[in-house]
Amino acid sequence: MKKKLLAVTLALAMAFGMAACGGDPGKTGSGSADQGSAGNDAGGEDGADAGDMGEDADASASGTEASQPAAGDGEILIGCLQDITGSTSALGISVQTGAQDAVDEINASGGVNGKTLVMKTYDTKGDVTEAVNAYITAVTVDNVSIIVGPPVANIANAIKETSEDYDVPVMGLAMDPACQLKEDGTAYKNMFCFQPNANTQGDIMASFAVKNGLKTFGVLYNQENSYSVSLLNPFLDTLKDQGITVDESLIVAYGAADTDYKTLLQPIVSAGVDAIYCPNYTQQLVAICTAASELGFKGKIINGLDAAPPFNTTFGGDCSNIYYINNIDVNDEKTSEMVAKIEDKVSAVNKYFLGYDIVMVAKACIEKAGLEDADALRDTIANVKDFEGLTGKITMDPASHMPAGMGMFMYTYDNQTPVMLEEYAGN
Amino acid sequence: MSALVSNILTQVFITLIAVAGVYVLTGLTGMFSLGQAAFMAIGAYASGLLVVRLHMNFALAVVLSVLMAVAVGYLIGYPVVRLRRDYISLVTLGFGEAIGALLNRMTFLTGGASGLTGVPRRVGLPLACVSAVVAILLVAFFKTSKYGRQCIALRGDELAAKAMGINVIRVKMTAFLLSVALTAYSGALYVFYMSYVDPTGFGWKKSADWVIMVFFGGVNSLTGSTLGAFILSALPQMLRGLQNYRYVVYAVLVLLILNFKPSGLLGEWELTPGNLKKSIGRLTGGGRRKEER
Amino acid sequence: MSLQIILNGIATGSVYALIATGFALIFNVLKFSNFSHGATMTACAFISYFLVADKGLGLFPTLLAAGAAGAVVALFGEFVGFRRILKNHSSATYFFVSSITLGTLYEGLVTIRVGSNFFNFPSFFNNPTIGIGSLVISTTDVMMFVISVAVLLVLAFVIQNTRLGRALRAVSFDRDTAQLMGINSTRMIQSAFVISGVLAGIAGVFLGIKYTLYPSLGSLVVKGFIASVIGGLGSLPGAIAGAFLLGILETILLSLLGSGYSTIATFAIMLLFLLVRPQGIAGSNVQEKA
Repeated sequence: MKKKLLAVTLALAMAFGMAACGGDPGKTGSGSADQGSAGNDAGGEDGADAGDMGEDADASASGTEASQPAAGDGEILIGCLQDITGSTSALGISVQTGAQDAVDEINASGGVNGKTLVMKTYDTKGDVTEAVNAYITAVTVDNVSIIVGPPVANIANAIKETSEDYDVPVMGLAMDPACQLKEDGTAYKNMFCFQPNANTQGDIMASFAVKNGLKTFGVLYNQENSYSVSLLNPFLDTLKDQGITVDESLIVAYGAADTDYKTLLQPIVSAGVDAIYCPNYTQQLVAICTAASELGFKGKIINGLDAAPPFNTTFGGDCSNIYYINNIDVNDEKTSEMVAKIEDKVSAVNKYFLGYDIVMVAKACIEKAGLEDADALRDTIANVKDFEGLTGKITMDPASHMPAGMGMFMYTYDNQTPVMLEEYAGN
Repeated sequence: MSALVSNILTQVFITLIAVAGVYVLTGLTGMFSLGQAAFMAIGAYASGLLVVRLHMNFALAVVLSVLMAVAVGYLIGYPVVRLRRDYISLVTLGFGEAIGALLNRMTFLTGGASGLTGVPRRVGLPLACVSAVVAILLVAFFKTSKYGRQCIALRGDELAAKAMGINVIRVKMTAFLLSVALTAYSGALYVFYMSYVDPTGFGWKKSADWVIMVFFGGVNSLTGSTLGAFILSALPQMLRGLQNYRYVVYAVLVLLILNFKPSGLLGEWELTPGNLKKSIGRLTGGGRRKEER
Repeated sequence: MSLQIILNGIATGSVYALIATGFALIFNVLKFSNFSHGATMTACAFISYFLVADKGLGLFPTLLAAGAAGAVVALFGEFVGFRRILKNHSSATYFFVSSITLGTLYEGLVTIRVGSNFFNFPSFFNNPTIGIGSLVISTTDVMMFVISVAVLLVLAFVIQNTRLGRALRAVSFDRDTAQLMGINSTRMIQSAFVISGVLAGIAGVFLGIKYTLYPSLGSLVVKGFIASVIGGLGSLPGAIAGAFLLGILETILLSLLGSGYSTIATFAIMLLFLLVRPQGIAGSNVQEKA
């Protein structure tokens, strides 16, 4: 019996020991802030398409009443809805860190309208059900004023319907336009995206490739990942406009169950293409690039945001044949200064800046519109104009809730060092 | 009731229906399915698609989707009920993976990795709650029926059950299809509650989670399994404050139960009027020590 | 069918073989599918990464560290997850549930430590490929194949020709009788876990090299599960044969049908195989005890 007790005690000790080492990326600030003024009293648009969820809407209203005069009057609470665990946790934690640093910076220089910003993180675990739970916790229990959203399309897709029942803007990064737009083409009132959408990014990468003399292409994409899928057609469409058709047999899909990238790449490499378009997450990208080099592929590999550092260090080898798109300009003085400061603590640097910019935009909008009137706040966010962010000049398109004409940068590597090649304006 | 509580409860009730199905399969019949969640996906996608693409009536779509899942279940069940334990796990595992791959591949129909959007929201807490109660009552009825007793008999000793004249294959198939129907129904409720479904999250880990819930509460007790599902599906939400430690805590808790109370929280105890009276009697009068099955 | 694809399949199969053997070993003695094996692989790969590979110490120290870590983790698992269940004489299904929970625990712990970053083993070779005529073979694949075969040969020798191996076989055949014959069955079960842990550690490093390191790396354990079941439950040679068969089959189907449909085809073939030959490749003597 004693032995068994010892065993269990050991298990517990190990569990909590390791847990303690991990540090707690989540709770920041007091978290007790009950900033009820987020504007649950907007009225008007309520019941848009709520169906049987009337209950939830009611509940949120009563929740607001209860917490209206509560403590934390000098604070504004913002929620950060991210994958802190799960397969995309590296991205989520990077956005979170960026957002938190922006919060700290704002507080250090006097806060927003004299109030302190407090950020609380909600883990979505990369799971859509968890995401809805997290969202509802944030808007009804903690009454956050604004949510910094995830860089993952499926999560945004999952919460977009639920978000209609509330009045808390989700300032996210889901680049699939379907996350912001309903079937009828109007925007979900609370859903916003703060980076160029998939159409723009695919288009930029294709234009860049053609401009640089690449003529034949193969594609390897993850059909089980919405991000990867959403970048596929915009790229192919732009190529088609330029008179290049990619052979059907060279557009190869893969899924989580597939363990052999070499077999998948084989036909593409044998066809002797100039470049492989590879819109995938960093971790698969590393495996794919390794497989390509093992197959003796000598052409270029064109990637999305995920080939930005730390891809180079993770891959470990010579990355000179990699082209990738990025949100940030490392030649910009302020950006490079910040990159140097955070490189060690953040894995996905570009996601850090996206998180940082969102909080800065949120601050500007709250200062302008206040928190009393949800519609006014949403309008302000939808009409952000010429905001000088670190990821570029942000001007929102009020109809689509996505940035209009926001540019991106194309990069390559000189061995391991990122080299900025060209800035592209969005369309 | 706050929106959060109502949201969590709705999800818990939807899970309860699936776990009731797993109880029939694992608790009563002793079969292990690692592809049970795939039937949830079938129920969710089939009913969602019928409504979104064919604009079918909600109730009719749910019924049809359950029937479709049962039909698929019959095809898979044919080999499954003839195989022994680990092969059942393997076949159902492969089946689950295949369904996941199919949902991802058939982009024109299912939306692929981006998921199926635009499903109207038709399910709220009341419907989920009533459904769960009905599902559990149905399973309770099944357990006490002739079939249920035959299931328990063949779980204990298949050969002996056969010798007693029990049609093992038919009983197993009945149990399998009942569990498939319940799981598919829970999937249909899921999609009409979430109004969105994507192909992730229906893998073998989800099926395994349900099995864990059954064992946590008591593999021999429907009441226990229900309680286990209730606790374990609500627990991660209660533990939200612990951030990424919560699954560690969850795992440690389940290990503790498995080690120190292997029959689960409730053992074989069932919530029946008789048992309840006995328990109350025991509490007040220190009555009998052990209750019967 | 090009020879190249078969070679790719063999390379994949050799990693599957390590996983499947570790899996089959535990099945052999305790008669259950140990699903914590996957998370054990992940944990070992990360432990060896942080302790050794990250410091640039090369491949063999990394493998040694991973193997040692695997032994420790598996022993820990046996202690907290299975010992007491064994003592209670609970049914094998409890092992199964317990192993999945252990897997969740390990994965949770790994996530806490590494969730915020990307990890990859440094490349251990200067030349990524060896060219033989028109065939291109990756150095890593050759290394994995050679090491897998070497490890499996050592294992076969231990099982067949040593006291430990004989005792293990006796325990897997009939635990109670073996106990009566003076074999310490608890010790033997521990040994089985240690060996399977070492295999898990090595397999984890291989998976890490092939697919980079991430917390859910171990989900590839299902491949080992499939291989060991079609091989004939509990049979080590069967598991190895099943693993190579699965690796080659998957690669061929992948090149013929593309992703997605190949998964479905694999499932269909597996189902057919089980209906035709339900005892698995090896036709092992493991029987369900009533």
